[in-house]
Amino acid sequence: MKRTRRLAAILIAALLAALTACGTQNGSGTAPETASQAAVSEAAQAEENGSADGSAQAEENGSAEGSAQAAKTESAQEEAGQAGEAGSAQTAENGPITVMDMTGREITLEEPAEKVVALTASDCEILYAIGAGDALVGRGEYCNYPAKVLEVPSVQSGADTNIEQILSLEPQVLLMSTMAQTEEQVAQLEAAGVHVVVSDAQDIAGVYTAIELIGALMGKDAEAAEVIDGMKSTFADLQEKAGEGSGKTIYFEVSPLQWGLWAAGSHTFMDEIAGMLGLTNCFADVEGWAEVSEEQVLERDPDYILTITQYYGEGPTPEEEILGRSGWENITAVQNKAILNLQNDELSRPAPRLAEGAQMLYDFVYGSGD
Amino acid sequence: MRTRSDRFSLWEYALFAGITLAVLCLCVCVGSVNVPLRETLTAVAEALRALVLHRERPSGLGAAIILSVRIPRVLCVALVGASLALAGAAMQGLLKNALADGSTLGVSSGASLGAVIAIAFGVRVPFLPFAGTTAMAILFAFFSLLIILGLAYRMDCSFSTNTIILIGVVFSMFVSSLMSVIITFAADRIQHITFWTMGSLQGKNYTDVLLTGAALLVCGSVIFSRWRELNAFAVGEDNARHIGVNVRRVRLLILLAVSGLIGVCVSVGGTIGFVGLVTPHAVRLLAGPNHRRLLPASLFGGAVFLMLADLTARILLNPVELPIGVVTSLVGAVVFVIIFYRSRKRVKG
Repeated sequence: MKRTRRLAAILIAALLAALTACGTQNGSGTAPETASQAAVSEAAQAEENGSADGSAQAEENGSAEGSAQAAKTESAQEEAGQAGEAGSAQTAENGPITVMDMTGREITLEEPAEKVVALTASDCEILYAIGAGDALVGRGEYCNYPAKVLEVPSVQSGADTNIEQILSLEPQVLLMSTMAQTEEQVAQLEAAGVHVVVSDAQDIAGVYTAIELIGALMGKDAEAAEVIDGMKSTFADLQEKAGEGSGKTIYFEVSPLQWGLWAAGSHTFMDEIAGMLGLTNCFADVEGWAEVSEEQVLERDPDYILTITQYYGEGPTPEEEILGRSGWENITAVQNKAILNLQNDELSRPAPRLAEGAQMLYDFVYGSGD
Repeated sequence: MRTRSDRFSLWEYALFAGITLAVLCLCVCVGSVNVPLRETLTAVAEALRALVLHRERPSGLGAAIILSVRIPRVLCVALVGASLALAGAAMQGLLKNALADGSTLGVSSGASLGAVIAIAFGVRVPFLPFAGTTAMAILFAFFSLLIILGLAYRMDCSFSTNTIILIGVVFSMFVSSLMSVIITFAADRIQHITFWTMGSLQGKNYTDVLLTGAALLVCGSVIFSRWRELNAFAVGEDNARHIGVNVRRVRLLILLAVSGLIGVCVSVGGTIGFVGLVTPHAVRLLAGPNHRRLLPASLFGGAVFLMLADLTARILLNPVELPIGVVTSLVGAVVFVIIFYRSRKRVKG
């Protein structure tokens, strides 16, 4: 780990040096060396002294990341309250902002960010929800909500993340998740002066942390708190209305039968919200999203089915498709036609709309009348 | 030329069929949900009676699981396994190339590309709602074969192992980047395409069984009827020409049949590796190199192998399913090495 980072630092430094040190002479000065050779040796020397600009920044980043948990600044510690709680922020009017992102790295901004690139759909949604959508100068290619986000230039994300594309948009902050970016990519971005902030919510509490974190970065703490309070009150309201619940079971279908049945198991947002509404996820024994056996769905006989399959306006709708599956006619949900299709990722993204999705599910199960 | 050992006796056929049937029964009786054997048998018996007498089909959880989920799937798996093994055996003989197979030559990737295009741009065949992906898969399988073989022939005027496998690998890479390009253009269908490329044998119904069965019947009989020519090709293309085989026509016919088989298999179950490569090699040890024996043996061997692999995929991590390709590659690679090692040792004495 450390070694790769060191290597990366050397390489970056070498590149920087190669660009700037075109005419540099080597100490001995007898034989003219090629620029790149000179650059490498210079970089190696710089590494030793730890003084060259390029490598210094990269190295600092490396060590900061390694010991971020231990070497928190005092102010961050005060704010965090409990050790290990990520996403805390310290904001003073017009002062530097220090936040800790969701991997425990510490990021300091001189002032609230005005140009942001967000790679994940959920971060885009959070930015718009707290009224900071105007600061978005680039979005990941799969970000699609709200509709306004589609006007923002799109960049490749995930495994295809393109550093050049991101740098060309000149953001101050890059928001992303931990899923696909390599440490080398992060180091590259940091070296180019882009603050990389990771938001990676795994549960609803994590979503609150992410909203708080992004709010702090954008200088929109009040708005962020408002969004969080709104979500909390919706959830509390639904939970109270649902009470103990009916003990009914629900099956969350992520992909249709034709492509193999993928279901949402425990530790998913859908599972967490089902628990809130007094429902039992019938695949709670499965971890995360997984391909489950069709036979098991028939045997577990869910009372409700929620499918998040998208519909393209041709062939049967997802509800009709489920109703028409052979052998499924014995399932309670199919007999009662108790199938809900959520098309717009309401319950699969760590974003403020989870509250809307929960409300939709509640209305579907308990009726919207009361 | 014909000797007694040239073809399987009826007894041998009965033995193969018996083994295949036994495995089929095992796969129907064992699954993710434990359905009692008695219930299984009753359900099957009642369903057969209903089919003959046009009565109502039996209802109930056990019957639904057996009749609507397990039997169509097991039948589909058996037919896909048989088709892939048969296609592999035919290609290995035709090209005189021990490593030829739908997945090594890039034909399966080509078929996937066709299916992905069909999904991304909504290609459909009139009157047949789900035929778009199948037709495109077959079409692309055939053209991929033509491109790969054409290139190989241009390069060194033969179908030698190294050239053709190299071209297959390059072609597969090329196709996978094309798929990425298509996915970028059809971003709204990414969910469908992603799940499709992962491949799954879940949710197969009797229509899929009929489709695969029909393909196997048509393309299989074409391949079977050319066993003599395949024997001649396996010695060498020149040899085939010298004994009066219409090389061009026969080759085209067999390639068409092979791409039909692979196209249908890919559209039904995604790309499943190793079946077409390993099965013919394994049964060759048993049945010998004569295609009159090799082809039927591959047929049964492929069905049995894929049914057992699918059984493993279904019950190993219950209630979660494993992708079948994982099982076939895992088992297939080990079996392949063992067979290879033993046969080498025997040759050396």
